[in-house]
Amino acid sequence: MAPLLSVESSTKRFGGLLANRDVSLTVGAGEIVGLIGPNGAGKTTLFNCIAGYMHPDAGRIVFDGTDITRTRPERICRLGVARTWQVVRTFGRMTALDNVVCGALERTSRVTEARARASELLEFTGLGGRGDLLAATLTLADKKRLEIARALATRPRLLLLDEAMSGLTPLEAAAAVTLVRRIHEELGVAICVVEHVMEVVMPLSHRVVVLDYGVKIADGPPETVVRDEQVIRAYLGGRRAAR
Amino acid sequence: MTELAQAVVNGLQMGFLYALVAVGLAIIWGLMEMINFAHGEFLMLGMFGAWWLSAGFGIDPLLGIVPIAVAMYGFGVLVYRHLMRRVQGGDPFTQIFATIGLLFLLQNAVVAGFTSDYRFVNEGILASLSRTRLDVLGLTFGVPLLAAAGLALVLFLALYLLIERTEFGLALQATSEDRDAARLVGIRPQRMFAVAWGLGAALVAIAGAILVNFFAVYPQVGLQFTVLAYAIVALGGFGSILGTLLAALLVGVIQSVTVVYLSPAFKDAFVFASYLLIGLFRPQGLFGRF
Amino acid sequence: MARARISGAARLALVVGALAAIVYPIPLQLQGQTYYQTVGFLVLVNAMLGVGWNVIGGWTGQFDFGPQVFFAVGAYTAALLYAKLGVIAWVGLLAGVAVAIVLCAVLTYPLTRLRGHYFAIATVAIWMIAQPIGASWEFIGAAQGLFLPVQTHDSVVGAALSLQFSGPTKALGYYYSALLLFAVTLALMALVERSKLGYYFRAIRDDQEAAEGIGIDSRRYKVIARSITAAVFAAAGALYAFWALSVFPEQVLELHWSTLPIMATVVGGIGRLWGPVLGAVILIPISQVMSTTLGTGPLAGRGIDLIVYGLIIIVIAAFRPTGLLSLPWGRWFGRRRPAPA
Repeated sequence: MAPLLSVESSTKRFGGLLANRDVSLTVGAGEIVGLIGPNGAGKTTLFNCIAGYMHPDAGRIVFDGTDITRTRPERICRLGVARTWQVVRTFGRMTALDNVVCGALERTSRVTEARARASELLEFTGLGGRGDLLAATLTLADKKRLEIARALATRPRLLLLDEAMSGLTPLEAAAAVTLVRRIHEELGVAICVVEHVMEVVMPLSHRVVVLDYGVKIADGPPETVVRDEQVIRAYLGGRRAAR
Repeated sequence: MTELAQAVVNGLQMGFLYALVAVGLAIIWGLMEMINFAHGEFLMLGMFGAWWLSAGFGIDPLLGIVPIAVAMYGFGVLVYRHLMRRVQGGDPFTQIFATIGLLFLLQNAVVAGFTSDYRFVNEGILASLSRTRLDVLGLTFGVPLLAAAGLALVLFLALYLLIERTEFGLALQATSEDRDAARLVGIRPQRMFAVAWGLGAALVAIAGAILVNFFAVYPQVGLQFTVLAYAIVALGGFGSILGTLLAALLVGVIQSVTVVYLSPAFKDAFVFASYLLIGLFRPQGLFGRF
Repeated sequence: MARARISGAARLALVVGALAAIVYPIPLQLQGQTYYQTVGFLVLVNAMLGVGWNVIGGWTGQFDFGPQVFFAVGAYTAALLYAKLGVIAWVGLLAGVAVAIVLCAVLTYPLTRLRGHYFAIATVAIWMIAQPIGASWEFIGAAQGLFLPVQTHDSVVGAALSLQFSGPTKALGYYYSALLLFAVTLALMALVERSKLGYYFRAIRDDQEAAEGIGIDSRRYKVIARSITAAVFAAAGALYAFWALSVFPEQVLELHWSTLPIMATVVGGIGRLWGPVLGAVILIPISQVMSTTLGTGPLAGRGIDLIVYGLIIIVIAAFRPTGLLSLPWGRWFGRRRPAPA
């Protein structure tokens, strides 16, 4: 079966900096794929290219048979890809419920229906009861949940999570992992997660892809990747230790 | 062909003066992103200051630049500290609103003190040179305008060096990019903003003191320059001082050529049409960083 | 925010306000003080323009200083249709609205590539280009403009249908026409606020890129928002044409047709549906009072009224930057407000 998402030899340059070089990866419809690598490896750039905020200088990105290499973000969302942001970006001046309603309106034009769906998703992500609060006043962990709820409201088939666990306490991170698993199992969404925290990514992912200086250096099941020499050198070389 | 060349040359000279008018706004709006509807009123105050010193005390407008610059610097800082700082944290439209109030206040304070009569500066160094012309390569240069343009260019370059090459200028740029990060390295953002307003006000007032040799002085004189200054800063691109200069020169030339070949009524319209055209291909202006 | 239920205190304020607006001109009429009816007319027109501007400015968060162009479009269209073809005012108004929407959509779409302040200058650019065009285009009368031939009607109904009031009830008639248009505008904008459009506009304002990530075509919705604003401005322009009985470029393209509504919106509370209304009710009577007391008599011609007006604006901006609607009216009238996290 063809993978849901297929990135083929994507290359992205910023002036003199080669952020992504010939990166290929796939995400199958039933997979959780972890995308890891040291800081500056090009993970968020890859996400931005997949989600349509940038376009690769070379290569192709295909989602469910459709070439989305040069497609705009809103169209890519319509096709079924949703994302969260490395630095959380909620609609601060709107309530939590209204944030999710905006996402739900992508799939229905009726506001009452959207509000109902939004309420359900707030419950699902653990924000039930906080719908009337202004998004800007929520805690960081709740804002991240809100972003996820809002993304889920667009009924994605692929969810791109960009460092969803960063800045969370161990307790909050554990809850986040549970949520991600539930999203995958109960909602049937394929997930690609960029993460720094090893204890989170390894148990969660079916497959792990490792980037270093813009190049893919490993791609396989977590147990294999963890023992890969290149990966170990990338993380430990230059005093960057894997946590 | 020489008619076109003459128009271009006249436009360039005017452009240097526009650059000086616009550069104060380039700092306040282009760098610090604060909207000032009263920018033209600062210009007008500079013009009135120069006229008053000339008519009342016989001080040449060019010499008057120094006290005017100092006074307006202080005024700019005052406006920031007592008004703009309070509206800074809120909606950008509140800044607009506040500076519209400032516009009413300043313009009419001058009307109250001096009436709306037109006034002229007929004495001074540049005025005495008004009969002198320079003829180079078949083109005519009026010496006063040429001298004024030269002065404007020197001041502009001094400012450019200040912003791009000194530690202070770097601190200013840092504050505009990320206030919190700037704070972390010991820069005090409030002080930077106050200085930016002081500098911005002083520069446009200096431009006024120079322009007084060529334009009539009256309380409503600022408006025409305000709109043009905004177009110039946006055309040049936010965050680029050099862009402001090039945009100002371009605007001067467009105006001059339009007046000669089309119609004076359309001179500003063509400037703005060019802005739209350029904006379609370069949404961030000619040299904009963001 | 976008909630269907209105609190009891707000509902009361609404009813009282509506009654006051309806009853306001009657005692003035009995005393023959039509000047104050005209002030009311101006308040209503500017409140309407403010409510319209709020769509692109307050909700969608775009800096738009150019909607006076569409005010002029509405005025000219209605005036032209009447003067040259005898089309009655209300039909002319609808035609003006239609023309404004189309023109706005066509002009604005390419501009949506521009962000923030660059977009703002682009809206000013269209205005700056419109001015000399208006002053030199013979078809619409160039600098002289158009004159609307006056017609007196024997019946109130006739006058109302053709928006041509005259005689002692002239100001009264225009006041109620403005009240009607204002009420319709407010009702329609309230519907928009609760609709999908309302949500999408505010999402774009809060974070355009994040909005795109959940499927919102920001360019398209910016155009829609601006077109709604243009429609409201055009309707007000058409009303104005029949009130002033003349339309010429310097008068209908004046910047104050947008700066005054913007100021009213900021004073009242930007992004709040009733913000512009509160702001207009406060600002315009103040400026009129200033103008008649300080602008005439011994202090005339010295701009004292505008100095005071400017000071008032500065004080309001400095001490209540979020607008007067954000004052704790609820607390003052005993309503509970939702607490932050």
